[in-house]
Amino acid sequence: MFAARKLVLAHFWVAFAAFGAAILLGEWQMLVRSPLVGWVNNPEHYYRSVTFHGVVMAYVLPTLVAMAFGYAVCELSLKRPLVGLEWAWGGFWLVIAGVVTAAIPMATGHASVLYTFYPPMIADASFYIGIVLVVVGSWIWVALMAINLRAWRRDNPGAAIPLAMFGTLAGAYLWAWTSVGAAIEILVLIMPVALGFKDTIDAGLARVFFSWTLHAIVYFWLMPAYIAFYTIVPRAIGGRLYSDTMARVAFVLFLVFSMPIGIHHLFADPQIGSGFKFVHAAMTAMVSVPTLLTVFTITASVEIAARLRGGQGLFAWVKALPWKEPAMLAVALSFVMLGFGGAGGLINMSYQLNETVHNTQWVTGHFHLIFAGAIVIMYFLIAYDLWPQLTRCAALPAGLVRVQLWLWFIGMMVLTMPWHLVGLLGMPRRMAYYDYSNPALQSQAWTVTASVIGGLILVVSALLFIYILATAKRGAAEPAPYAFARSLHPNDPVPAGLNGFALWVGMMIALTVVNYGFPIAQLASVKETSVPAVHVGRP
Amino acid sequence: MSRAVLWSVASVVALTAVSIVIGFAWLPSAHPDFTAKGLWDTICRAAGVPESWGSGATRPTVRSTSVVLDASMMSPGSADAAGRGASLALAQCTMCHGPQGMTQSNAPNLAGQYADVIAKQLVDYKQGDRASSIMQALATSASERDVRDIAAYYASLPKPRNTPVTDMDTVPPLVKTGDPMRNIAPCAACHGGIDRKMGAPWLEGMPRDYLVAQLTAFASGERRNDSHRQMRNVAQAMTPREIADVADFYARREH
Repeated sequence: MFAARKLVLAHFWVAFAAFGAAILLGEWQMLVRSPLVGWVNNPEHYYRSVTFHGVVMAYVLPTLVAMAFGYAVCELSLKRPLVGLEWAWGGFWLVIAGVVTAAIPMATGHASVLYTFYPPMIADASFYIGIVLVVVGSWIWVALMAINLRAWRRDNPGAAIPLAMFGTLAGAYLWAWTSVGAAIEILVLIMPVALGFKDTIDAGLARVFFSWTLHAIVYFWLMPAYIAFYTIVPRAIGGRLYSDTMARVAFVLFLVFSMPIGIHHLFADPQIGSGFKFVHAAMTAMVSVPTLLTVFTITASVEIAARLRGGQGLFAWVKALPWKEPAMLAVALSFVMLGFGGAGGLINMSYQLNETVHNTQWVTGHFHLIFAGAIVIMYFLIAYDLWPQLTRCAALPAGLVRVQLWLWFIGMMVLTMPWHLVGLLGMPRRMAYYDYSNPALQSQAWTVTASVIGGLILVVSALLFIYILATAKRGAAEPAPYAFARSLHPNDPVPAGLNGFALWVGMMIALTVVNYGFPIAQLASVKETSVPAVHVGRP
Repeated sequence: MSRAVLWSVASVVALTAVSIVIGFAWLPSAHPDFTAKGLWDTICRAAGVPESWGSGATRPTVRSTSVVLDASMMSPGSADAAGRGASLALAQCTMCHGPQGMTQSNAPNLAGQYADVIAKQLVDYKQGDRASSIMQALATSASERDVRDIAAYYASLPKPRNTPVTDMDTVPPLVKTGDPMRNIAPCAACHGGIDRKMGAPWLEGMPRDYLVAQLTAFASGERRNDSHRQMRNVAQAMTPREIADVADFYARREH
């Protein structure tokens, strides 16, 4: 790496420190909700904790990891120093300022509105200002990614964008456009109320704007993991990427289809027409396509590695895989969680089936499995893979790394499978306590205890992760030159359409207008739809 | 444009068109609610265009309250207002509610009561939304300004406090956690302790019999000046034993 080493490290450390704190709160939430201890006497404390856990895990961790990985990919794949390093540091400090600004009202109980805001609940204005600063900081990253690509293209006219950089740009453009929804919600609808200029808010319209962000943000979280699938895993296990073109198709499909689908979060909301709910459900089904393409391509890439190592037969090649290699283990565990989580996701997005699981603990199980499980385990791998480049450390202790990855997988399964089960039985999410002495609930009590155990395993794994990174000996070894995975046919030309973004960004915006234009215009024009704001933590 | 680009655009357009036809025309056709007034109406309904619901239907005649609570009612009021309110209170309120808003009778203590609570109840008496032969007669003559001044006066007095709780286990469960399975919110979520909501009175130090009488009246529907049935819904789900327990809790006085 050239100039961005410290920058990337700073992003990673802030992300992982916040992650370490937030996971402890997550486990505390499980504990106080379980039959193991008495009810939490003040439910507000519970929601305060949920807010902090959600804000860190949904905004701080993935945004900083995506930024860090993006800067690293930019230098490592374009093989030149990052343009605009000072601006990148500026973006970093903006994110830090935002986190601190939002953390204060969260800590004092003036922002217990959860990370999804939920108007008409209104938090202290500084909470929203903090979130906006985080987003603006990340927009600097988006701009820098585009600027660096343009500078590289000027010097390499006609060359194919390296795949890792292509994926990073897809994630950046996706984030730039999807964050606009929440930004409008905060700046236009929430801030006037939080600052006291208004005392009512159009909660239905606010929820529609948030749904614009809420689903596509998930694919922004997911991009680093997918980039790692395609560009790190095949190289780390000694294989080849089966198809570079397929990878690019998957990235642009995410770009096009992750935006116009957010209303599938609002199936139970009366302010949206059923026609739009169906169209959003149909398009949500489309985002399973790039994931299925990815599973196929990566499995094929892994098979190449196994055959190169002498693997034989229809399935027996699986035994020839380098299972001791952390990248191999991480991708396998990630796919198992992606499989369960993805299947659950197909149920959530079905207009009809959603009715049975809407707002139950099932949903919590789903997004923990797919994000905290399948995606975050790849964040771990990204950190492990880049650490020698960033700190010039000696090889990380592979045994300990494997233990950490296994613990994360086991913990996540033990945490989320009981959640899925009780969700089907009807247990609602976002509850500070359940009355287990009620005969109707008593039989579900064990599932919450099981989740506490799963959470504890996750805490151990998270602490182990931080320990491994923190104890890596800095400067002990000069790292080998970094390389991304080579494709099976490295000399195949990249189709022109898959070497740029104009078409795909255009489609993303057009579909957003088609799928969101009418509901937003209609809700904004209907009179008397506002409700009194509820200021959280204010007497 | 290359063929691949054309193909991509065409297939996205086709996907969108097909899902719109299914979502706005075909699926709604399965339900008479959607199809009653022809295709255009079906499409409008699927798009979520609001109807003028209930046109022609009679509006419910029983109203709970005419008071719309807003944030301005929560301000404690000026010292002048409190002074005028004290004079009014001396003439009309002290007989039952005590000289400083504290009484040994079973009339509610008003010392330290929130301004929005006093104002709302007085207006409800005046408009006939809360029944009491004494209070309705007194409130009839109170002007808007009198109401504000009396509210400011009582809000300016010190609040009576319960004996401090040292053991959380002695707090009735309905006060601190409610009962989610019966849709009973915790008392402390609105009446102070956890949070305070507009219109919800300060309860500590209230006479026990008054609390029991009011909860029972809410439960039977005899008292109905609570906006959106907030208290009737809670009280109807409570047993007489639970009403007695929470009344005991709030009536425990510091000595």
